[in-house]
Amino acid sequence: MSLQLIFYDELKGFYKSKVMIALWIIFPAIALLIHYISSLYTDGAISVSSTVSLIVSTIGGLVASIMLTVSIIHEKDARVYDLFLIRPIKRWHILISKFFAVFICVTVAGLLALSLGILSDYLLQNELILDIVLPGIIDSFIITISIIGISCSFGVLIGVISPSVVVGVIIIIFIGQYVEIIPLLPIIFEIENSVGFVVLLGVMVTVILMILSIFAFNRKQF
Amino acid sequence: MEKQIRCTKCSKITSVTGNPGDEIIVTCPSCGAKGKIKFEGEKEFNPSDKLVIFKNVSKKYKDVLAVNNASFEIKKGEIFGYIGPNGAGKTTTIKMMVGLLNKTSGELYINGYQMPDEKEKAHKFIGYLPQQVAFQQWRTLNHALTTFGKLSGMEKNSIQPRIDELLTILNLKEYKFRKVGKLSGGTIQKAGIVQALMHNPDLLILDEPLNGLDPESRYQVKQILRDLSKKGTTVFFSSHILSDVQDVATKICIIDWGKIIKIGTMDQLKYEFSKQNQIELVLAKKADIFHEIKKIEGVESIIERSPQKYLINVGKNVDADEITNTIIKTLMKNKCRIRSISPTSPSLDEVYQYYLRRGVKN
Repeated sequence: MSLQLIFYDELKGFYKSKVMIALWIIFPAIALLIHYISSLYTDGAISVSSTVSLIVSTIGGLVASIMLTVSIIHEKDARVYDLFLIRPIKRWHILISKFFAVFICVTVAGLLALSLGILSDYLLQNELILDIVLPGIIDSFIITISIIGISCSFGVLIGVISPSVVVGVIIIIFIGQYVEIIPLLPIIFEIENSVGFVVLLGVMVTVILMILSIFAFNRKQF
Repeated sequence: MEKQIRCTKCSKITSVTGNPGDEIIVTCPSCGAKGKIKFEGEKEFNPSDKLVIFKNVSKKYKDVLAVNNASFEIKKGEIFGYIGPNGAGKTTTIKMMVGLLNKTSGELYINGYQMPDEKEKAHKFIGYLPQQVAFQQWRTLNHALTTFGKLSGMEKNSIQPRIDELLTILNLKEYKFRKVGKLSGGTIQKAGIVQALMHNPDLLILDEPLNGLDPESRYQVKQILRDLSKKGTTVFFSSHILSDVQDVATKICIIDWGKIIKIGTMDQLKYEFSKQNQIELVLAKKADIFHEIKKIEGVESIIERSPQKYLINVGKNVDADEITNTIIKTLMKNKCRIRSISPTSPSLDEVYQYYLRRGVKN
């Protein structure tokens, strides 16, 4: 009951936040801009959806982790959690709710941007190119979702253990960039099913990071 | 409940008594072997009238002993005023009570539940107002209060009427649908009081509840606390505004440097203070009595406040009632007409300062 309630509240809070509104506009806007610039040099060889996919996978995870870290540290400092923690609820409900709220919001933002990219491609180019590009985009998006999952759980962990917003954001930017290496691991280790490998790794790392976050949050003295 | 157990070493049968949920270490009366026994079943609610029990509770932050061996009990329906200077350990005590901080040592029970191990059960009975009230900025006041009502286990249909009732009492009705981020400090403080009262808790724990409130709101909140106490709600509140404590509290506890200095009703605190201090004497007619009164054993000095009004300082170990009797006899012998004689009634401020000074000396 409390998990469901806190999750809906967090989801409402995040999708209505200015950051999310900006994200829903910024994702496709940056993609269109980059596509426009690149088309000047490549004569439109790269599709809009490919550019969108690249943008979402590059900044989606980073945005998700920063959003979570800043939100948790800020609420912790403002003592927002005091009023939750003195009620008969489990502490981990707060973290899980935050994790899924941001994960869903960023994924939906990415999906929206990607849909716009595919629509643009459909309108601008012929169906044949879309047929060639689409399977790759779907694979890329599945990998991106795994990366967003890892980034969100990493954001939660840093939010719980970091003493200040500045320190938290520095850690996220410094360590977060290495998360982008994960999609390259199947190439390095010559793994055939790259999508399956990244998804499996993504789920495992996300679960481990969330368990660590919950452990740290449960031990925290407020 | 009673349980018969057999010693695994010498096979002697012993009977042990305990409550459901208790875990007791039993020593065999015959061979001295020790063993653990658990009584089955859920722990029962505290049947006594004590809602809060502190037994030698201490809290240490690295090198600082924030609460030092605190022991006190709060009965149902009491308004327990917890006073002390800044940094005395008031907020640390409160945070241990509500389970936000773990104690370093000692035992702490809320409605029979041990804190912090059984805090989830204890939280059902608690309403808490932190010193620094904060809600998520993006929520409207109504949204925040509804969420807290639901999380406290309130019935869905009873939440909105309760919010309306409390917002009306505290003059917050116009802010109901405003975003929390747009509310003033005083309004947020009042909203904090509303969320603490929402689910009609048995124990209300308020950390400096009157901070930042205007005089009218202070009066309203004090009135609410008195009404709740009459209905059986136990109130624990900390403050360093002594007049507020004096107005509301039925029992007062003074804390300084993490140590409980004194606990008692206002009258008890005043009595001990006045007993060891001054006697006020008013005569019908001015008289030269200095010499005679000074001769009385235990009298340390006498001050003439006005022509007929005197303040007699007596020794700390002297029985004030006895010395008052002796003074009356001396005055009668000297044919002085007494209008009034009584130990002075100190204000809480004087009592507080007295106990703090005494606490520091000790």
